[in-house]
Amino acid sequence: MTVLLGDPVLAELRQILGPEHVLTGRADRLNRTRVPAPFPVHRWAERMPDLVVLPASTEEVAEVLRLADSLRIPVVPRDGGTGLTDGAVPLRGGIVVDVKRINQIKEIDLDNRTCTVGTGINALKLNEVLGRHGLIYPDDPASYPCSLVGGRIGTSGWSLIGSRYGHTRDLVLSFDHVLPGGRVIHVGDGIGRKITKSSSGYQLKHLFMGHQGTLGIASEATLKLFPKPEAEFSPFWAFEDYDSAYRAVGALARAGVATFAGAVLFDEWKVDYLRRDDEAYIPQPSSVKALVCAALYGYEDEVRAGGRRLLRIARSLGARYLGDEISEGDWAARHDRYATPLHGRTRSGQVVPMSWHCEDASINYTNLPAVRLAWHEIADRLRRESDVFDDWGMFAYTNGATGADYLTEIDIGIWEQRLDDAAWEAWVRAKRDLAAVTLAHGGSISACHGSCRAGEVDLVPEELGGGYDVMLAIKRAIDPNNIMNPGKYLLDQAYAEKS
Amino acid sequence: MPDPEKRPETTPEKRFAEEWRNAAYNCFSSGHKFCREVCPVTQVTRNESWSPTAFHANVVAMEQGELEIADVAADYVNCTGCGACELRCPNSLFTGDFYRFRTRTVDLVKAVRGLAVRQGVHQPAWQRWNLLTDERGHEPVLNGTPVDQARVRDWAAGLDLPIGGETILFVDCEAAFHRTSVPRAVARILNLAGYKFGLMHEQWCCGGPAAEMGYEEQARRFARHNLDDWRAGGVRRVLVLDPHDYVTFTEDYPAYFGDAYDIEIVLVVELLAELIREGRLTPHVPVERTVTYHDPCRLNKRKGVWREPREILRAIPGLTFHDVDRVTQWSYCSGAGGGLPVEKPELTARISEQRVGKAAELGVDTLVSACPWSERPLSEAGRARSIDVVDLHELLAESLGVAP
Repeated sequence: MTVLLGDPVLAELRQILGPEHVLTGRADRLNRTRVPAPFPVHRWAERMPDLVVLPASTEEVAEVLRLADSLRIPVVPRDGGTGLTDGAVPLRGGIVVDVKRINQIKEIDLDNRTCTVGTGINALKLNEVLGRHGLIYPDDPASYPCSLVGGRIGTSGWSLIGSRYGHTRDLVLSFDHVLPGGRVIHVGDGIGRKITKSSSGYQLKHLFMGHQGTLGIASEATLKLFPKPEAEFSPFWAFEDYDSAYRAVGALARAGVATFAGAVLFDEWKVDYLRRDDEAYIPQPSSVKALVCAALYGYEDEVRAGGRRLLRIARSLGARYLGDEISEGDWAARHDRYATPLHGRTRSGQVVPMSWHCEDASINYTNLPAVRLAWHEIADRLRRESDVFDDWGMFAYTNGATGADYLTEIDIGIWEQRLDDAAWEAWVRAKRDLAAVTLAHGGSISACHGSCRAGEVDLVPEELGGGYDVMLAIKRAIDPNNIMNPGKYLLDQAYAEKS
Repeated sequence: MPDPEKRPETTPEKRFAEEWRNAAYNCFSSGHKFCREVCPVTQVTRNESWSPTAFHANVVAMEQGELEIADVAADYVNCTGCGACELRCPNSLFTGDFYRFRTRTVDLVKAVRGLAVRQGVHQPAWQRWNLLTDERGHEPVLNGTPVDQARVRDWAAGLDLPIGGETILFVDCEAAFHRTSVPRAVARILNLAGYKFGLMHEQWCCGGPAAEMGYEEQARRFARHNLDDWRAGGVRRVLVLDPHDYVTFTEDYPAYFGDAYDIEIVLVVELLAELIREGRLTPHVPVERTVTYHDPCRLNKRKGVWREPREILRAIPGLTFHDVDRVTQWSYCSGAGGGLPVEKPELTARISEQRVGKAAELGVDTLVSACPWSERPLSEAGRARSIDVVDLHELLAESLGVAP
């Protein structure tokens, strides 16, 4: 790549973007290599791009892609860089297109209840502005304070309150998308920018969401807005065993309460983990083995009525309400609380900084107990293999309002400082095994992150079956020169077949 | 094959990383980069290389032998030392108390800048600034017009303030030479209240700016001079009106001098709020302005001082006060701290424009600050939007009816 990215290319990029927006420094490149997903630190430099560009507009993104395509230079889009499946990690060097500067609010349409933004904007910052109009953009991942709209599109993200408001795919109405050759198309339902339902033509919006940057770059998006909820109720309940909590979460999700925004099940491992250092859980009696929380959003009168119904259901199933203080505090702190490095412990109990890694899947309600046990067994094996791994327990979150399936996650703490080659191999093996359990139980390998990391990615063709062949054909058709994020999702096969 | 007999190669970067490794890994290992959208520099530049997380990750890269100080020294210019990232860090917020851990980005940035200077890697404007400061004893805040010892008390002309005494007022370089109306207002208010104080015998720059830009030896030399001067004159108590001085005297000086440092440091804003509470000062002249208050970063984010300035504002008759809470203001900054305006004035200006833009949304005519350093760039940004930037001490003086 170094040859291709010699002076003529640099000069042209500087011409397109302005010299200060073409970065070649070693630190610039190292910092665009990092994502939260753990990777052996001693291998950090393997994933360095050759340079980084910071475009400010759709046109600049298009020009960069046109140039890269003509010279067959790999391009990796980067937005918040907060994803857990390495979408933003360059595997073949090339150019990182960091779109954070494209973060303007172009329009707030109060009558149609939409806004149009650059994809480099963060939802929390957007909501600070929308709040003044009594509106909210309710896309709420764990990374809410730092993830950006473009990354949410590229990964087809999942929202904690998706049972009430939908997930990223439902909330993003349409967007400008730069194809690998530099052509800009607009995708949505039909061609409209603010249309929420169309049956005209192929439904391309889903295709250009969740592709992990392998099909191009979204640069400007129109989003669906809601009235900012007047009231919020987020009860937390304790249970004496997992099975009771499991029965309760199912009943709550199936209750059909209109303001229901989501429910979360914490298993025994998760509760033990919280007891390590969380002041809300240290004082809980040892009989507390599992937790459930739910969240309701809406007008005060409807939230009050819906909340009473859920409290009644939970009580009838043996739940003990933990009280308003824990409930409000924990829910308010949900983005900060559960995944900080200092929660990490070696087997002997020593506190060490561990990276949080959340392995997720979509699992039907009826399969949650079986998947849970199989996954903890894999985590236990990992911990026996190496002291760099720690089981931080499991969450199951409702994917939707009817309670059919759950984002199921096992959180593994990984002591990245000590992640040597052998431990890395063990980790990749474990990821493959976790994905295999998911498929054996009729689930999908990922509900929210994507599934293109080493290990899990091996099973994606099996999961998608004939659909994976269609994926290969689409990749080849849209990106004939394989410049977009090459190496992801095993898509190089698309080109091997051609030759 | 490496020779097992040979000691592993060590570099200044690796020795530095050894000292900072745990702090760096605690950040590196966190997937939640919540600091980014509150960092004033990251907010306006959107450049991830200039973010609190990059400042920590670079240390890990140094430990791995991937980076040398020369590769990154210029990146570390891009920090105002406001401390927002430390407050927003989940490590500080949610587990810090339990583990007695706190993210210390500001100290880390200062330490990297110090490492750069020790390794002979200089930023041209900072080097010049500190050279001139060293020559003159004061920061060259007047763009070419000389500053020196003979003029450091010019601001007090006609006020008949004594020299020396148990309690002295220390006036930072910006206020002493440029924002002279601020210390004048402070002196007149204290006189009105009958609060006895004098001026320092030979006041040099506090040394804080040199420390922030990495010129540690110079910073210590200046601190030594000031402490010696205080001791020689029997000073027990130092009043400070500048938040930057307040941080220097309550954090840097104790670190330099240890237990032997027994000077009481009093923040003027806190003192004035107390004098109002005790009835020794009663603002009575109505000030007809619609204002919002800018929490100076070093008061709000670094020292947790946010109540007293609001107490003073609420005591002034005639004001319409649109307050913005202190937590929202974690992400606000003037851009004037940490040496940024010396090396990158255009970036300071953009941060100030963003801050004044927030004030403009409230429909106010006046932005009140309590930090002389913030007031120059904020005023420049305010002119474009017809928003006056006024110092809190001056506003209080006006309401107390004391002459400028």
